[in-house]
Amino acid sequence: MKGSCDSLTVNMAAEKKSSCRVFTLTFQVFVLGLSQSFYIGGEVNKRQLFVELNPGSTSVPPGGDLLHVRAVGNNDTLHFLFCSQGAPTLLLIHTNSSSSDIKVDWPLFLARNTSGSLKVEPESSTLYSTAVVFSRLLEYDDANDTADPNSDFFPPYELQDFTWSRLKLSGPVAVLCGAAATFANGSLCLQLSVFESEGRGQSLPHLLHSANSSQLGVWLDGVLPRATRSRFLLELQAVGGAYPLTRVDTSRSIDDEFTPSIFKVSQWVSSLNGSSEVLGFVQWKPVAYSQSNPTLEDATPCSHTNPRLQKGEMIMASSSLIHAFYTEPETFGLNVSFGLAGDPFYNSTKFLGWTMLVGIGSPPVDLFSPLVIAVMAVGLGTPMILLLLGVIWVSVHKRGTDSTTVYQPIN
Amino acid sequence: MDEYEERQSLLGDEGEGSSTSGPGRALPAICDPSHLLHRVIVLVFMCFLGFGSYFCYDNPAALQTQVLQDLNLNTAGFMQLYAWYSWPNVVLCFFGGFLIDRVFGIRLFSLLCLTFSTSTQIIFATGALVNRFWVMALGRFVFGIGGESLAVAQNTYAVNWFKGKELNLVFGLQLSMARLGSTVNMNIMGWVYNRVAVLVGSPGYTVLGISLMIGKYYTPKVKTYNSAEKILHKEQGKTGEVIKLTDVKDFPITLWLIFIICVGYYVAVFPFIGLGQVFFIEKFSFSPAEARAVNSIVYIISAPVSPVLGFIVDKTGRNVVWVMIAVVTTLAAHMMLAFTFWNPWIAMSLLGVSYSLLACALWPMVAFVVPEHQLGTAYGFMQSIQNLGLALIAMAAGAIVDAKGYLMLEVFFCACICSQYFLLISLCVYENVGRWTLLIFRIKGTTSSAE
Repeated sequence: MKGSCDSLTVNMAAEKKSSCRVFTLTFQVFVLGLSQSFYIGGEVNKRQLFVELNPGSTSVPPGGDLLHVRAVGNNDTLHFLFCSQGAPTLLLIHTNSSSSDIKVDWPLFLARNTSGSLKVEPESSTLYSTAVVFSRLLEYDDANDTADPNSDFFPPYELQDFTWSRLKLSGPVAVLCGAAATFANGSLCLQLSVFESEGRGQSLPHLLHSANSSQLGVWLDGVLPRATRSRFLLELQAVGGAYPLTRVDTSRSIDDEFTPSIFKVSQWVSSLNGSSEVLGFVQWKPVAYSQSNPTLEDATPCSHTNPRLQKGEMIMASSSLIHAFYTEPETFGLNVSFGLAGDPFYNSTKFLGWTMLVGIGSPPVDLFSPLVIAVMAVGLGTPMILLLLGVIWVSVHKRGTDSTTVYQPIN
Repeated sequence: MDEYEERQSLLGDEGEGSSTSGPGRALPAICDPSHLLHRVIVLVFMCFLGFGSYFCYDNPAALQTQVLQDLNLNTAGFMQLYAWYSWPNVVLCFFGGFLIDRVFGIRLFSLLCLTFSTSTQIIFATGALVNRFWVMALGRFVFGIGGESLAVAQNTYAVNWFKGKELNLVFGLQLSMARLGSTVNMNIMGWVYNRVAVLVGSPGYTVLGISLMIGKYYTPKVKTYNSAEKILHKEQGKTGEVIKLTDVKDFPITLWLIFIICVGYYVAVFPFIGLGQVFFIEKFSFSPAEARAVNSIVYIISAPVSPVLGFIVDKTGRNVVWVMIAVVTTLAAHMMLAFTFWNPWIAMSLLGVSYSLLACALWPMVAFVVPEHQLGTAYGFMQSIQNLGLALIAMAAGAIVDAKGYLMLEVFFCACICSQYFLLISLCVYENVGRWTLLIFRIKGTTSSAE
């Protein structure tokens, strides 16, 4: 990493993609187009991205970088803050102004003992904020291959104690790698991608994202497991001010075309006093992959525990970004465990990759792709039409030949 | 094991039965070709043929774990044992059928095939015994040459003996026997293996070889009786007509339609079963054991159900209508699997029933659209196309799941089935105007429209 305050603007004049909000099934068939998918729910909006590393700092801050991505919409701004001071943390702030900005008081921020060293300007523009902290990596010896993570835990890896690399930036994508002392040549890496418009992940599990969400990939590569039959868990903490992420909904879908063989999607959402309106979310599909360029065979299922309320002080101590922004953080934590009974152990490929989405508003919903609809329409529709024509043809033909035996009225 | 003894005793009876028929005497009912009892005897032997041939075919599957362990194979290598059987048959069935019609005649050909497949089972077993994988693969390859052509001969036999009588029932029974052969094999071979392991004292490829030998010893025996019976009693009225290879291009269009329907239907059933387990686990949250069970229900159902359905088709006639019903229920089953979360037991059972129905209604139809001297070739061709289609679609299905998931696969299968529907309609339309109207559309099992 060279300078500290390099700021770059990412191409924002993406080609116009026609949006289709008329969802009549029959109509869609003819409007197939080439667009990847259709996306109901909210605006199909676009954002301009402004990427800034260590905003306002005059030197490279010791102990890790702070990445700030400003995603500016028509009348709002999303601030994505990604920081490796302490445990890796992604903080999302939604403001109602397209000119809001982040102000960091670097000496205070680095001291890690006061709240308020990171502020939104103007402060009144803040609508909602949520953060995800990757706090710990857990490992257990699954000697009996039950994949039941209850016993035989090794001492957990505290991610705040890892040695984290500098952020590697390429456009709106940042990669952060870190390792514990005992990892040998292995590392735990996180990749944050921020998007200016709707789209779909390049590699499996091909999560659908909107401009209101960012994608976080986590992978554990080449780490020396402490037992040959080791399996791993990742501990996540969701931190919020007023409306923390409290419950995980898992919904089933008949559609697995984007993530073959996976029919479920899990959403960790904030609920507004029990109403169905969702302010922020973490979304993932319950699948991890045991190769860096995954195919279907490398899929390994994962499961999660229910979110549990955590102590705010703990999380403030482990992540300086949380400490700097929140005064009284509401924190819920859950574990994601990788692998089911009978699946290969981490040792077999020494790679484990998992992807999730963090965003505001309602989580994106997969819809049938035009391809499926086209095949259904052509495959099921054409024979039906032909059948109809056939029946008509036959009956006409019959009437022609059997004209002598037409039914007569009874009386 | 019960199964085995039962067969043995049955065989004993039949053996005596045939020995009573001395040459030149007035034929008792059992030896009179036109008598029902005689046909039943023939049927019993034909069933053994199917039973034995599937018993051998699925030998590797029954001993999968043992084969993998004792020979240090991986799954891909193991699947080669099946590939070596399937691929040659894409071509060989066709020639097998042609050879029946043109060169050897059905009796000689059956005997040849029997000798072939019997001896190659010994090659296969020897391969295991000396722990040489390539010898086993060779064994499977040669078994493929014999085995599948034997199936062609079996179909031709069925038509020769039962056309215009209980043909659909016979096809149903044959299917049922084939399934029974697989099942008995699946359950008995592990037991045989363990028994031999106890006797020899050292489990390993020796044991594997010996178990396979035993398995082989039993099946050929069944088959030899079968062919002997046929030589004794079936007088073949040879017609002057002979098939030429070029006759294939003059096959009636209806026959081609039947071929395509056959392929299009089977590819939507078997490749799905091959990939089904993961689908049931992931989509319906089944345990692996449950998923295996629901996956095999298709076969389990078809064993008892297909003779019954065959009987019904015999009694009612109208094969095309029955095939159509089978196609529609299959479509319904696939749509259930694709678009709902309903318990897959429903869909898979439905698939099992409709698969059995199709098998006993579609195959006999061939007999009504081609003349007798082309029958072997027609059945051979059908089997060849089916093998080719299955091999290709199995690969394509794997690729579809990898790239686009199970929904896409199911949609693809639905499209396949729908095109069958379309073809059936064309078949009807064609039949309606063609000279076969009465033969296909309104065949009664009892009308001897077969001449």
